[in-house]
Amino acid sequence: MRIGVFICHCGSNIGGTVDCARVAELARAFPDVAYATDLMYSCAEPGQAAIEAAIHEHKLDGVVVASCTPRMHEPTFRRTVERAGLNRYMFEMANIREHVSWIGKDKEANTNKAAELVQIAVEKLRRDKPLTAKSFDINKRVLIIGGGVAGIQAALDCADGGVPVVLVEREATIGGKMAKLDKTFPTVDCSACILGPKMVDVAQHPNITLYAYSEVEDISGYVGNFTVKIRKRPTYVDWSKCTGCGACTEKCPSKKTPDAFNEFTGPTTAINIAFPQAIPKKAVINAEHCRQLVKGKCGVCAKVCPTGAINYEMQEEIITEEVGCIVAATGYDLMDWTVYEEYGGGRYPDVITSLQYERLLSASGPTEGHILRPSDGKEPRNVVFIQCVGSRDRSIGRPYCSGFCCMYTAKQAVLTKDHIPDSQSYVFYMDVRAPGKMYDEFTRRAIEEYGTEYIRGRVSKIYPDGNGRLVVRGVDTLMGEQVEILADLVVLAVGVEASKGSPQLAEKLRISYDSYGFFMESHVKLKPVETNTAGVFLAGVCQGVKDIPASVSQGSAAAAKVLALFARDKLENDPQIAAVDVKRCVACGKCIRCCPFGAIKEVEFRGEVKAQVIETVCQGCGVCTSTCPQGAIQLAHATDNQILAEVNALCQC
Amino acid sequence: MPVLNGKELRIVGFLCNWCSYGGADTAGVARAGQPTDLRIIRVPCSGRIDPLFIVKALLNGADGVLVSGCHPRDCHYSAGNYYARRRLEVLKQFLPVLGIDDRRFEYTWVSASEGQRWQHVVTTFTDRIHKLGPAPRLEDAEPLLKIADMALTSLRPLGTGQNAALDDLKAAIKAKLPELDCVIGWQQGYDAAHTVPLFMRTPEDVDKLVWGPFNVNNPATYLPSFKGKKVGVVVKGCDSRSVVELLQENLIKREDVTIFAMPCQGTLDMARVNQELGRYSAIDSVSYDEAGVTIVADGKEHRFCMNDYAQGKCYGCTTPSAVLADTRLGVPEAVQPGAFTPPELAMLDAMSLEERLGFWKGQMERCLRCYACRNACPMCVCRDYCIAESREPQWMTQEATAKEKLFFQTIHAMHLAGRCTGCGECQRACPVGIPILALRQQIARAVAQLFDAYKPGLDPEAVPPLLGYELEEKNIHEREWK
Repeated sequence: MRIGVFICHCGSNIGGTVDCARVAELARAFPDVAYATDLMYSCAEPGQAAIEAAIHEHKLDGVVVASCTPRMHEPTFRRTVERAGLNRYMFEMANIREHVSWIGKDKEANTNKAAELVQIAVEKLRRDKPLTAKSFDINKRVLIIGGGVAGIQAALDCADGGVPVVLVEREATIGGKMAKLDKTFPTVDCSACILGPKMVDVAQHPNITLYAYSEVEDISGYVGNFTVKIRKRPTYVDWSKCTGCGACTEKCPSKKTPDAFNEFTGPTTAINIAFPQAIPKKAVINAEHCRQLVKGKCGVCAKVCPTGAINYEMQEEIITEEVGCIVAATGYDLMDWTVYEEYGGGRYPDVITSLQYERLLSASGPTEGHILRPSDGKEPRNVVFIQCVGSRDRSIGRPYCSGFCCMYTAKQAVLTKDHIPDSQSYVFYMDVRAPGKMYDEFTRRAIEEYGTEYIRGRVSKIYPDGNGRLVVRGVDTLMGEQVEILADLVVLAVGVEASKGSPQLAEKLRISYDSYGFFMESHVKLKPVETNTAGVFLAGVCQGVKDIPASVSQGSAAAAKVLALFARDKLENDPQIAAVDVKRCVACGKCIRCCPFGAIKEVEFRGEVKAQVIETVCQGCGVCTSTCPQGAIQLAHATDNQILAEVNALCQC
Repeated sequence: MPVLNGKELRIVGFLCNWCSYGGADTAGVARAGQPTDLRIIRVPCSGRIDPLFIVKALLNGADGVLVSGCHPRDCHYSAGNYYARRRLEVLKQFLPVLGIDDRRFEYTWVSASEGQRWQHVVTTFTDRIHKLGPAPRLEDAEPLLKIADMALTSLRPLGTGQNAALDDLKAAIKAKLPELDCVIGWQQGYDAAHTVPLFMRTPEDVDKLVWGPFNVNNPATYLPSFKGKKVGVVVKGCDSRSVVELLQENLIKREDVTIFAMPCQGTLDMARVNQELGRYSAIDSVSYDEAGVTIVADGKEHRFCMNDYAQGKCYGCTTPSAVLADTRLGVPEAVQPGAFTPPELAMLDAMSLEERLGFWKGQMERCLRCYACRNACPMCVCRDYCIAESREPQWMTQEATAKEKLFFQTIHAMHLAGRCTGCGECQRACPVGIPILALRQQIARAVAQLFDAYKPGLDPEAVPPLLGYELEEKNIHEREWK
């Protein structure tokens, strides 16, 4: 081989603490190095031109650049060598900036270390082989998991872009958490009025297939060609016949069914349509509370249904869909706040969650928009809001901020005053976090125009005063004194956690998730909607806490990623993947068992069973290579021989 | 390239590309100063790191090896680090048996955003290695050849098995023989004090079958070479575990194998028997009683009591009868299960790290590199494609040094992690009598301690621990960086 080595000064970033010319000089002694020099800025245009010129002049067939991290400029230099006619994979980098010049001050040690890093890059390059990407077809359909506002936005943007969308929603209606809200901050506009039309668009869009009351059962395949199994739970109502007229809900005798949509603030009927603007506006029977399904006698809904849509025999159904990429938009749930004994641990009916309060405020809620206390149905006078219940609390393992609670609490305080003019709201807060557009101004209005009293401090105890009210005892850390407020209603700003079942879905999607169940983006700043699994994107709170505008933006961003992917007719794989040496393979199946992607299958080869890598599925992790005892499966560009050569270069007795 | 004299020690890092390499970048971007000793090798995933890379580095002169991957749950490839965690922990527990201080190897998790943590890890680990000083080298070790006597006490009475129902077994084999291509057993070898494998194809062959303490070979070793044929095999309890392991690894098919089992009362350690017999020209007679064998060689009588001359593995045997069989004859002795350290391992346990290094230096200098250990191993299924002799990949040179030979033994042991049933064929086959089984026993002990007392070769359906993982490992806890 004829290898060229280029040592980058990166101005003084490297040159300041590494003797680059000396490193180049040392590199000339390494095996197969035909040319070595130092460059001021190798990534800049003159630097890249110098590399290209050297490739031609010295007939190089491989290049090592020692500069910054390969995580930054590896793609840049791969393109450089490709322009000069080399295979883009005949290139290696030595990281002498982040791993050398920026962390050590001793120039002699740094120079020596840089030279050794160059040497291992040379040893690796000597064993590199030219690789070529393979192309394959894309199935231009997208699966969107979750029909909250993020999923709706992604679905509509994709569908408008001409991409057929399969939207799967776990609940009976799309709309997610936003559909439960009464108003939204900072404009105090009606949530249902702004979300409703979007929901209707979803229902009417010719490119969108909606599976409500359904969950993703299994996902196989890879970017461009996923196969998805969707489990449709039985609704006991044939939705092709149901018109959503509501006759069944009026007559249903099981009137004490818990109402999940209303956050259990009031009862509903066993056959039910979640709310008036539900999409799809179809009835669903709650099997646990339906007299017909539990006791086998009733059948009232079947009698009153004008279209004969009721079917008590309905079974769950598995539907298979083929898609090319997937957007996860599974949203969030509120954490179980009853761990807080100081707030009553759930024993006091008048201590409620903020989402329950939204339902009390909402005209479509159980109180038809009148704020009435759960305990006695009276209007409250003093309403206490407590912030950060399950947020920023290390003691229960939730150190993160739930982000939007400060703002909706201000909104709820404003609405409280609107509903009950002689009421007084108090807010116990840790810090007011209002960084969005018009957010801080809104909080100021809640304080200044609506007279909400903000108390900086935590609540230590809530207990009944014996006369139907609650004593809220806390501390005002700004005044440095204890405070006690007699409250009629206490609203907890309960912290957000990833939606139930997120880790299980992540396993199906083969994406990472953090210890709270939030899905991991590919890069926290630069790739916020991508995941590390090609073809799987994220939108909304499933990736991390965010409010409605951010969720909508991310829904659109995910859709942009989908459309960009589908703008191509063919996809190319990364050729740095594993391959089986059929001679050495004894078909023991260890690699198949360990592969995290199911990318290895058994095939017949000249009458013998052998392992084979599915090139489009392999992601190049190399678990198989370290599993195979006979070294029969090797990961291109991280082969045993390459890593051994690096080890040997560093450890020679 | 020489390390800067006196200033630095040789520390090799293996970092996954996605998290820890990025974490090291983040530390660099933050100008988080670190010692300069560490050299980082970038790999796609911690799951790519074969523990043998680490052994290679340590045997070849690294003073420390640091591995870092994504935190559990954050693996870019979703599960690579779970596999790594198990394999690296087994390695960590294995290293001391070689005489390598396990503090010289550490693995941890650092995310791409944890620059500070990376700085802390590098600084702490480098400090640790500097405190330990340059690693003792196998080349410089003083060979230790004297071996302490092994302490031999058994979990059950050992015997010669002369009351076994051999005639019934022969009848059973003859009855099945028409359906089978061959049945593997033992026959008398060149004299009455040795046996060799017997491949029975006719009823006359079956009459040659013998049973007793000289049946040392593990007939399961031959099964993979009969793949696709109907074959019978006569097994001792230990042999049957190899059969189970082969079934588990899909190397033989259950429907192709017929297993004949008789309870075993122990087999002789032929290395010690031969040593006691010394040079002789003819065996005059071999007579058995319940407790042992009397061999008369060249007119001289030698008495071998089973309790003193059994193979090391027999003393701790808890499976005298096959764990899986189609035809069983005889009832095994009851075994009192209890804690048991195999004698070979107990011998090494009693040594210091320095003594162990010297021990292996001395022993490996005697190794002929004949690969009899590998060829006798029933689980060595790579056969002609063993990485000891291949160029693609080339794990070893052909240089006949103690280092390369010990590295081969480590390869064998690591490849047997979670698979080795401790049948001891490697050690038995060794022509110069090196107690190499101890290395496999240490791996087996680590696997059992880490993974719910897992013993290979008991359940054909079990998931071998190193081919699986748990999200939360019960017995693997990350060490803190203080």
